[in-house]
Amino acid sequence: MSEEKKEGPGAATATAPKETPIIEVDGHVGHTLEPDYKRLPIGPDHILYPVVVGLALFPILMGDAGHHLADDMPDEDTHPFFPDHFWPYPIIAIVMLIAVGLLSAYVQKNLQLEPSADPRAVTIPRPDWYFLFLFQFLKLGNEFVFSIGIGTVVIILLLIFPFLDSALGPRVAKRLGWKKWPVPGRNIITGSIFVGSLVIIALLELWALAGPQFCVPWFVNSPVCGA
Amino acid sequence: MAIPHPREIQLAVVNWLDERYPFTKAVDEALYQRVPNFANAFYYCFGGMVFILIVFQLLTGILLALYYVPDASGNPAPAYTSVNFIQNSVYLGWLIRGVHFWGANLLIIMVLLHMARVYWTGSYRAPRELNWIVGVTMLFLILALALTGYLLPWDTKAYFATEVTIKITAGVPIAPVATLIKELLQGGPVVGPPTLQRFFTLHVFVLPALIVLFMYVHFRFIRAHGIAQPM
Amino acid sequence: MSSLLTATVVAGGLPILVFLWPAPPKDQKKGKIKIQLTKSIDQLANGDAVKFDAPKSPNSAFIMADGGGDNAAGDLAFGGFAVKDQQGKVHVLAINCSHLGCSIALNDTDKSFDCPCHGSRFHLDGTVRHGPASAPLSNLSWEQDNSDPSTIAIEGIVLGF
Repeated sequence: MSEEKKEGPGAATATAPKETPIIEVDGHVGHTLEPDYKRLPIGPDHILYPVVVGLALFPILMGDAGHHLADDMPDEDTHPFFPDHFWPYPIIAIVMLIAVGLLSAYVQKNLQLEPSADPRAVTIPRPDWYFLFLFQFLKLGNEFVFSIGIGTVVIILLLIFPFLDSALGPRVAKRLGWKKWPVPGRNIITGSIFVGSLVIIALLELWALAGPQFCVPWFVNSPVCGA
Repeated sequence: MAIPHPREIQLAVVNWLDERYPFTKAVDEALYQRVPNFANAFYYCFGGMVFILIVFQLLTGILLALYYVPDASGNPAPAYTSVNFIQNSVYLGWLIRGVHFWGANLLIIMVLLHMARVYWTGSYRAPRELNWIVGVTMLFLILALALTGYLLPWDTKAYFATEVTIKITAGVPIAPVATLIKELLQGGPVVGPPTLQRFFTLHVFVLPALIVLFMYVHFRFIRAHGIAQPM
Repeated sequence: MSSLLTATVVAGGLPILVFLWPAPPKDQKKGKIKIQLTKSIDQLANGDAVKFDAPKSPNSAFIMADGGGDNAAGDLAFGGFAVKDQQGKVHVLAINCSHLGCSIALNDTDKSFDCPCHGSRFHLDGTVRHGPASAPLSNLSWEQDNSDPSTIAIEGIVLGF
């Protein structure tokens, strides 16, 4: 086995020439992949083998794996994707299917249709829960600013967030005298922004859910009521 | 001549295939790729759940399309009666439509959870910035799917919700641009049959194709980068 | 090469844009729509309003004469109110809120038009009483039928679908 360590896509497999037997090397430089189908739980003589080969479409589409963190980690800190990492997913799929099936059987309210659309009907359109906070947000001020204006800004900020984080973060850290700029989970600033946004969204959602009789004084268009 | 055992035939086929493309190697590499143990934490499976739910949506969506009629002319419109037919007459129609509906709700929850996890653990950091952008784009694609799908039953709430949504998107202060957006989305001066036809096209052809494409890019990036270490 | 590519994109893209632009249905035509009010305008007391809808058959809509906010002159409405304000002046208003187009409703006790969607309110003459709407309601151009006092003719369009 070659001693040189390769970087980049394909490196994980490049170190495993074809006829290599499995060798557990102390202080190895990467995981040795079994080159042939010997390690497959379903071998080429198994009736389900064509299914497994069919699954190969997935890795073929996905292209070569890059050189991953796991390749440099000791064996006890990693596990093979199949079956150790894969097995929960079929269970999750079945559980989710049962959950949505039960919901469709027992929570019919949201599935029953209202009368066929009539532009002359007088009705209050109330969006689904995932747009309800935006619906409430619209009431808080100037239509353009509180829809397209702030919406566009939030979308752009979300899209470029990784770049903001890497460009501005270290500078802020330096100014505050921090040694490094941690990830949001351990960062009082980005972490609070996240939790704060969630709180705002939750409050708007609750405000809307509280109903049209629930009115709160507001800076503009006071009072603003729920939906 | 002895009759070959089916196993031998299969082996011969596999060998034949393997000489043309290393299928067994591809399977082997993919299946035995090592995964770091930290990725066993429950919050690392939200992305996989999103994938499963999108597959549910694609499958139930195809089934619903077998009965749905994207025609909004008249009252009640064929679109409305066809959804009613799916819900109340088609065998297990309530289940397929229910799974599509509730699956969409669950999908949005899981997408948000997945995104929150990626944010919280800093998994968007270099070299994964592009994958974050792809992911955020998919969030908006999914919201667009939810929005366009909402109109398809063509009932009163769907109609007015869409009318308000189009008004919001057409709220650009430059009048010609606003008219352009409105006319293109509505397919006419008011929300009507052309609007349903356009939303149907978006919901059934354009957006699913885009989301599948973006999912592909998302997974290729993940495969190239590996699972991010929580920092 | 770059100009060739640009030309290809333009040649391919322009027809698509044109194709996407909605063509009016064949039977679509503008004209005056006669509406029978439930209460004739002469009988309306000050601060009284009467709602009317655009005919369903043929499927028609009214054309707004002016606009503001999300309504613009030329936009369509499927209903409206004939209203006599407190000063006795008659207005014929489109039903769509100038905020985001929901149908306003008459609030008889407060003598206002209230939008159920985002809480905008309007005076009976169409001017804003409470946000988030910032523009008045749209007027419809109308005239009274001389032979029948409960009928008004409103500028409108037969949609053709």
